[in-house]
Amino acid sequence: MLGAAVVSSRRSGLGFAMPATVLLVAFFVVPVALLLARSVTEPVLGMQNYATLLGSTTYLRIFFNTFMVAGLVTIITVLIAFPVSWALAIMPKPLAAILFGIIILSMWTNLLARTYAWMVMLQQTGVVNRILQALGVIEQPLQLTNSLVGVTIGMVYIMIPFMVLPLYGVIRKIDPMTLQAASLCGATRWQALTRVLLPLAMSGIASGALMVFVMSLGYFVTPALLGGTANMMVAELIVQQVQSLVNWGMGGAAAFVLLVVTLALYAVQLRLFEPVGSR
Amino acid sequence: MKRLLLGLAFAGTLAVSAAQAQTIVFTSWGGTTQDAQSAFWAKPFSDATGTVVAQDGPTDYGKIKAMVEAGSVVWDVVDVEYDYALQAAEQGLLEPLDFTIIDKSRLDPRFVSDYAVGSFYYSFVLGWNPANFTGDQPATLADLFDTTKFPGKRTFYKWAAPGVIEAALLADGVAPDQLYPLDLDRAFAKLDTIKSEIIWWDGGAQSQQLLASGEAPIGFFWNGRLAALEMSGVDVGISWQQNVTAADALVVPKGTTNKDAAMKFIAEATSPEGQAAFAAASGYAPINLDSADLMDAAVRATLPDAQTAEQVNADLAYWATNRDEIGNRWYAWQAQ
Repeated sequence: MLGAAVVSSRRSGLGFAMPATVLLVAFFVVPVALLLARSVTEPVLGMQNYATLLGSTTYLRIFFNTFMVAGLVTIITVLIAFPVSWALAIMPKPLAAILFGIIILSMWTNLLARTYAWMVMLQQTGVVNRILQALGVIEQPLQLTNSLVGVTIGMVYIMIPFMVLPLYGVIRKIDPMTLQAASLCGATRWQALTRVLLPLAMSGIASGALMVFVMSLGYFVTPALLGGTANMMVAELIVQQVQSLVNWGMGGAAAFVLLVVTLALYAVQLRLFEPVGSR
Repeated sequence: MKRLLLGLAFAGTLAVSAAQAQTIVFTSWGGTTQDAQSAFWAKPFSDATGTVVAQDGPTDYGKIKAMVEAGSVVWDVVDVEYDYALQAAEQGLLEPLDFTIIDKSRLDPRFVSDYAVGSFYYSFVLGWNPANFTGDQPATLADLFDTTKFPGKRTFYKWAAPGVIEAALLADGVAPDQLYPLDLDRAFAKLDTIKSEIIWWDGGAQSQQLLASGEAPIGFFWNGRLAALEMSGVDVGISWQQNVTAADALVVPKGTTNKDAAMKFIAEATSPEGQAAFAAASGYAPINLDSADLMDAAVRATLPDAQTAEQVNADLAYWATNRDEIGNRWYAWQAQ
């Protein structure tokens, strides 16, 4: 009896997933498969696009750059979002609502507008350099745009909400009393953080980090505007190939390599963090 | 996301208006240029014919190819770069133009082909911010590449297109009539000498911002964008010496269901009046030879077609043939 009930509830669960699955197949799996097909058929049948892509130091450097920037952005975002999420969780409700509102509002503002704003602020004649110069911190303006520094700043800013949201969801459920208990048991503040708070928040950090990392891999607008061509990322390479050169074979190959590496990382992450989720 | 929303909103307007009047879709690059196209081409056309002209954009060559291949063409008239137009025609992506509807007898023959007519033509010109250079002001393309005489960042168009490569060769001493076939090795060697000082501009608004803020005090710009900066009261230095011209073109993607209306729209856009009004608003030159007579003399003097003495015409047919090869080298060089 019980068995039958479980089976039927599983079935109806599958039924609920059907529309989403159909959408996913129609609008994601099929187009990706078509693009993949183009990467081995255009301009002629064969693996020449992959050979070009993986045989050129320039293209390999673009891939390396992409993963390095995505990794860097993820780490910095965690470092900033963690204290923010903790503050959100423990601060008085009205204050938390205001801070939360600011974070969400920034997320809802047009991406291009925000990136453009950073471009203006970070350039040599921009407000950041002006303030640093006025304070006597620097003599010559720093090269903040057209560089990795600019890309990292812009992307971290844009990614923070995507880290705060999952992290806050997890941290909010942690009872602040556990920290008190830790200190009563003789833990230093550092021990309380690393042995109590961090492990409890780990599932939120992991899901936030994965989301930020994967989104960073595919980012186009911010790196294109704040970075130089010397530190180009894969998304821009794909746009060049598809939009400007109308070379879908190469664009498809680049997209596919990115997809495969991303899925591989995802698989690793799932394996590493499954125990936390299923506990 | 923004594009998706635009698309949805657009699909909505299509559904509503289809019942009332014929609608065609005109796609261009956005910004002040498309505003002028909308005001001086689309509006008079709609007023005269009752055909609604929906605006879309920005132009995307990948999308044109996808539409034609999938057989679902939703863009009826598209503003593209002229060299791309020639290439796209070669690849069978375009409808031949109907010259019984479009009067080509008075169009600048440099910008007329079976599948495309010019929408306007423009010059790449040397521009600078006078506030950044006390004393000598830059004047020649050689100055643009001379970082000792004129230190600071320089800004160039980021995408592979006629203009920057020609400028590098001209600055290196190549005579204008010896430019083609382009000596790419020499051009990139010349660009290498200033590579660390280059900031790339992606679109017109960015180029204006870089110049006006002094972030890049000197660069190679679309003349219309400098004209717009001047009109807004910013002090700008412009040198027309060896200005390099190229053009945009109006094309009709193959398989549109509104071919007839699309041809009529192009006829309106290339009419003396349409071209004159657009030129005055955009700072780009008209391709209709009769437009000049309709324009204010002072305005005319600021347009590329008043600067023909120093003008270097980019060989758009050469570019159409070699677009892919140049593009591949261009992007690989940029990323190095």
